[in-house]
Amino acid sequence: MRFREVFRYEVEYRFRSASTWIYAGILFLLALWMFLATADAGAGANINSAERLARVSVLVGTFAMLVTAAIFGDAAVRDVQAGMDPLLFTSRLRKAEYLGGRYLASLAVNALVLLAIPLGLFAATMLARSPKTVGSFRFAAYLQSFTLLSLPNLVVAGAILFTIGMLVGQVIPVYLGAIGIVIGTIVGLNYPDAITIPILAQLADPSGLGTLHDLTRYWTESERNLRLMGFPAPMLWNRVVWLAFATVLPALLLRRFRFAHPDVEGGRRTARQGSVDPGPSRAEPVVCTVPRIAGSFELRTRVLQTLAVARTTFEDVTRARAFIVALLVAMGLTLLWGWNVGDTLFDTSVWPVTHLVAGEAVSGRNTPIIYLLITIYTGEMVWRDRDARLAEIADAAPVPEGALLAGRLLALVAIIAAFQAVYLTAGVLIQTLQGYYHLELGLYLKILFGLNLANYVLFAVLALTIHVLVNHKYLGHIVALMAFGSTAALPALGLVQHHLLLYGTDPGWTYSDMNGFGPFVAPFVWFKLYWAAWALLLLVIAQLFWVRGREPGLRRRFAIAGARLGGSTARVAGLAIGLILALGGFIFYNTNVLNDYRRRPGVPQAEYEKRYKKFEGPPQPMIVSADLRIEIYPSEPAVDLAGSYRLVNQSDQAIDSVHLFTVEGIETRSVVFDRPSKLVLVDDELQYRIYALERPLAPGDSLQLSFDVAFRPRGFPNSRSQTDMVGNGAHFDRRWLPIIGYQSVFELTDEEARTRLGLAPRPPMPKPDAAGARGRREYLSDADRVQLKAVIGTAADQIAITPGVLRRSWTENGRRYFQYETEKPESFGGLMLSGRYAMLEDRWQDLPLRIFHHPAHAFNLDRMVRSMKASLEYYTVHFGPYPDSHLRIVEVPRYDQGGSAHPNTIVFSEDNFLTRVDGDEFDMAFFGTSHEVAHAWWGGQVRGATGVRGEGLHESLANYSAMMVTETTYGLEAARRVYAYQMDRYLSRRAEMGRDVPLLEVEDQPWIAYGKGAVAMYLLRDYIGAEAVNRALRGYLEKYRDAKPPYPTSLDLYAELRAVTPDSLQTLLSDLFEHVTLWEVEARRARVEPAGTGEYVVTLDVVAKKLRADSVGHETELPMDDLIEVGVFPAGSGAGLGEPLYLERRRIKGGAQTIRITVPREPGRAGIDPYHKLIDRHGEDNVVAVESAATAAPLDRQ
Amino acid sequence: MKLVIRDLSKTYPNGTQALRDVSLDVPQGMYGLLGPNGAGKSTLMRIIATLQEADEGSIRLGDIDVLRQKAEVRKTLGYLPQSFGFHANVKAERLLEHFAVLKGIVEPGARRLVVESLLRRTNLWEVRRQQVGTFSGGMRQRFGVAVALLGNPRLIIVDEPTAGLDPAERVRFLNLLSEIGEDSVVLLSTHIVEDVEELCTRMAIIDRGEILFAAEPPRAIEELRGRIWRRTVSRDELPSLERELPVISTKLLAGRNIIHLYAEASPGADFEPVEPDLKDVYFSVMTGHHGRRAAGVEAAS
Repeated sequence: MRFREVFRYEVEYRFRSASTWIYAGILFLLALWMFLATADAGAGANINSAERLARVSVLVGTFAMLVTAAIFGDAAVRDVQAGMDPLLFTSRLRKAEYLGGRYLASLAVNALVLLAIPLGLFAATMLARSPKTVGSFRFAAYLQSFTLLSLPNLVVAGAILFTIGMLVGQVIPVYLGAIGIVIGTIVGLNYPDAITIPILAQLADPSGLGTLHDLTRYWTESERNLRLMGFPAPMLWNRVVWLAFATVLPALLLRRFRFAHPDVEGGRRTARQGSVDPGPSRAEPVVCTVPRIAGSFELRTRVLQTLAVARTTFEDVTRARAFIVALLVAMGLTLLWGWNVGDTLFDTSVWPVTHLVAGEAVSGRNTPIIYLLITIYTGEMVWRDRDARLAEIADAAPVPEGALLAGRLLALVAIIAAFQAVYLTAGVLIQTLQGYYHLELGLYLKILFGLNLANYVLFAVLALTIHVLVNHKYLGHIVALMAFGSTAALPALGLVQHHLLLYGTDPGWTYSDMNGFGPFVAPFVWFKLYWAAWALLLLVIAQLFWVRGREPGLRRRFAIAGARLGGSTARVAGLAIGLILALGGFIFYNTNVLNDYRRRPGVPQAEYEKRYKKFEGPPQPMIVSADLRIEIYPSEPAVDLAGSYRLVNQSDQAIDSVHLFTVEGIETRSVVFDRPSKLVLVDDELQYRIYALERPLAPGDSLQLSFDVAFRPRGFPNSRSQTDMVGNGAHFDRRWLPIIGYQSVFELTDEEARTRLGLAPRPPMPKPDAAGARGRREYLSDADRVQLKAVIGTAADQIAITPGVLRRSWTENGRRYFQYETEKPESFGGLMLSGRYAMLEDRWQDLPLRIFHHPAHAFNLDRMVRSMKASLEYYTVHFGPYPDSHLRIVEVPRYDQGGSAHPNTIVFSEDNFLTRVDGDEFDMAFFGTSHEVAHAWWGGQVRGATGVRGEGLHESLANYSAMMVTETTYGLEAARRVYAYQMDRYLSRRAEMGRDVPLLEVEDQPWIAYGKGAVAMYLLRDYIGAEAVNRALRGYLEKYRDAKPPYPTSLDLYAELRAVTPDSLQTLLSDLFEHVTLWEVEARRARVEPAGTGEYVVTLDVVAKKLRADSVGHETELPMDDLIEVGVFPAGSGAGLGEPLYLERRRIKGGAQTIRITVPREPGRAGIDPYHKLIDRHGEDNVVAVESAATAAPLDRQ
Repeated sequence: MKLVIRDLSKTYPNGTQALRDVSLDVPQGMYGLLGPNGAGKSTLMRIIATLQEADEGSIRLGDIDVLRQKAEVRKTLGYLPQSFGFHANVKAERLLEHFAVLKGIVEPGARRLVVESLLRRTNLWEVRRQQVGTFSGGMRQRFGVAVALLGNPRLIIVDEPTAGLDPAERVRFLNLLSEIGEDSVVLLSTHIVEDVEELCTRMAIIDRGEILFAAEPPRAIEELRGRIWRRTVSRDELPSLERELPVISTKLLAGRNIIHLYAEASPGADFEPVEPDLKDVYFSVMTGHHGRRAAGVEAAS
């Protein structure tokens, strides 16, 4: 009865308070928002697929943790805070009734509030921009995600937070608990492999999101659209475990909780220690006069008052135990989820260099925590006097509102700085504990106390203003966080892009060891100054509406604000507005006048296609030689590009005009032909020109084109500052030179943008055997092989590089010049590099090897050199001689990741120089180098047609080559690790991207070209031997070494592979290359019986299936009769299987079958495809433990 | 220096009229504002203390317009609200120093002097190193006075300061107030008649937002001389007597009810005249036999 009353009272109380409904409204909007904001990411699958609904529900649910903290925290601490505890605790109420009623009532209310999430998701499907991606409405999808994920998560979180609140009696620990849960969830998702036993990992996942991910990881588009999540067993077990936890916790609370007066300090519930009053003991009146000192009120007083407010506020916050806890938690979390900062970048581990740790581990990843902390502490500060019931005394004190506000802001800044100091410590710990000692404290200070602090302080001002205006603590928290979230959500939704409209934002920055903050500094500073002016205005507003006294009514607040506006306040507001206009105007001039600002990109590309596509057909002359004079000015930054092309009419008809195009940002100063010509079209907007030749260029005839163009960036843009021409590590290519003729590669490829801008859908890429599709093998169609001479000038302390041989270098006018020349006509990439490089020199046989690197990046130089040598060795022995006289690697800043290969020159991003081999990872510096050397090696000799399907196969070739070099140098186990990585890359990305095509038709899908390509080639090598595969590749090379158009395609390579594959394996070859094939083999059960002769007979039950998938993932089963490895292994534990007792390929048909194998020793495990070589989404079920027949089937014996 | 309140009215958003046409002249010295709970005392005091807004009327402190020049008022204001707390984990001395800065006493030497003398004056010097959160009710109240007295205020407002104090504590507290009230305007609200009787040179009675009566206590008592009558009655007689006679108060003493009556002439033989005290003034006013309410009734009839 009393329980019911407690429950009903609480529910009624909650329903009466507006905040409950506002929470629901906010969750509704948040769900709507997040659903639409992430709608494009699914690429293909329906946006309301059951899996996605579940995922977004959990994500919004993570934010809803704040609502849960507010509701349960309030339910737990309200009585103590309102001073009602003595009345309640002395009533006849029993602990269980009180706690149970409160908890269950909060749960019921919060569950109702949480219903706003599915409602928001449903509303979002109604509002979706492209209705064709919305599948039919299925109630079960919403129901399952709510009952299986949202609701149990709420029960668990509620139990935890309620317990904290009841035991501590304060709100902040409750919020910290909420942050802890959110972060625990994220960390758990970040470390999916921390628990190696999958079933335990699934059970340990508190949100169910990891389990959901595991269940649906390799689901393809059609599966996502059709399948409901259902109530799968692993998910149910996970939920049962956590619900059990959620019931144990309140039971503990019930034991620990006492109906007692809380200690003043919170924390412990010890008896309050009172003071003995010295007053009444003295009977005689005190003889003491109080000096009559009145206050003085000058500027100095105001300053001192501000500092006094700051000091007491800061002390108040820092003295509380919650603050120490928060610092420790921040430290712990930073270590926890910053620990693997190097692991998540670039497929492998890199050293925890300072910019990664400072910029990633302790900034980016901590963003949610710090913003949450700022929000909460701001709330506490705004409410601190009122919470202490001191407000009336403090408010009546002669302190201007500005001082009250500024003092609090100062305290906030100090608190944020304290957290930054903790982060710095955590960062240094991450580095030193991982054995990295190059601690750049200056860089830490710049990032933590410069860039980040600026952001946090700006947000603190916003949060302060919001808390003042909202005047409701918990609601203020949520509004402030929504404001923060909206700066991320609005651009993601495509609603607001300009940083002039997104509070506190900036165009972003990337730090590079080579180039520092480079081009990002100026825009950052200007935008921050602009937002600081806004912050000043916000402070004025906060000051006007600062609550003083007891007038909560809106009308009164405005009246008071009106009365306060005047004199100096009005002048400050005027100053702020003036600054906003001036700085905003300056930024606008930079972003929108000096630079081109478009909310929706693609317009010039679309115009280019609309206006000039018609000129694609008629032939244009080809560049056969180029003579360049490049002047690089790193400090400006700017480049002047002058020179001349020799153009030859290689077609069979006369050419009467030359089309010239320069990309955006390149200004043309002069263009001169060596024969009379007339400019007949000048399109300055798109930078397209047509020159009519007075005398047409006859077939075979040539002409000289001299040009002088320049790249001189002006001002700064709203986003994506250019990072090609930078102070150190400038790198740019052909695209900055004049381009001849219309180039289809510049066309807009995004189909949605094409439709929006009125373009027809792009025709599908021609099949490899289509007629007329094989005439081009270079990126641009205006050059094939070019004889290049280039003189590059750069700053005196830099080295300039371009593919070719360095003939000479000299200094002139304080600048350094380098003259390069190609030894023979080469692919014309026009790559130019300039930087302050250190150079490492080595030799392989007589071939000079050089690495131009940032002096501090010496970690991987030996491994790169070793890889260059091993690669050249392997390729020379197995494929043929290296086609060039030297080979070099050049480092560029990390603005773009990965590497690229050019004739005799390989370019690697900084990150490749920072990789390390961590644990059992493969050596990426070695593998990556080997991959790029393969490109340089293959690409220098045989290059397939581009612009046709199957063009991506050259990546498969490079990956296969690199795998063979890895295998030769590091052994089979290392190659297997690469193989497993490539397999996972293929299977998970094909599911994510929702598109899969046969390898022979691969276009620009890296997960197929690199991932599946490596798997297919290496699997083939496993079946037919490396010698056979290499013989095929050698044949391909010899046949097409000096091919003229039509150039070879994937089909020509495939023909060579077919020729070396025995008939028995042709099906496999075709499965791998011509189709999308998936195997599903599973070992069900294995039993062993002694054969009597000391040997053992293993009976292995397996099930096998082969599936063929179409491009969106529809699967049909195929008849199967394939040679598949079957293995028996000794007993053992751990991941490795050990030395096999038996390993042979057996013919496996579709369906269930039993295999008998006799082995010489006692077996422990057995399986089919035990090394997971086949393309199988469930590799983990391929091996089972062998049961002894005696225990397995005791009934058989009797 | 004088506090002049004219025609002050205040209505809360829920319709409660907290003050109606309140006019008062408060000269230097202690001024008692007497009234039952909910009479509007706190509202009036908070308005004077710049913490609430009035709907109509004006308040002047010397040449300061209290309703508009809030910052000026605060510079010379000492305010002790009815209920308040302190940041629990701060030491008394530290907190008082903080308030001294807030009150504009920024010179370190002067500040130390003021803080020390106030702590001694309020007998808190020995506990100055203890956290305010551990203080008893009386200590906290005295500490509140110390805060209110910082900065030599010319206007001191104390709202129900004696509520919850034990008798000894109350005496000490009132003594403290009377000493400081000599050359400031001290407005003291209370529902305890004795507080006013013992301390105040002037007083006003307020009920339901209206000032019913304002006078100097001795003179008010004098006015009632010969009009208050007493009789001891049994419990059974009480209801009919209360109905028929102008009873202003009833007191239960040793099982018998003693009633006080207001009457110009003797109401009967069994009544004996009493020497009136301030309580009789208060009850006469509250029951409508004296002061503004009585005048209103007369005017109406």
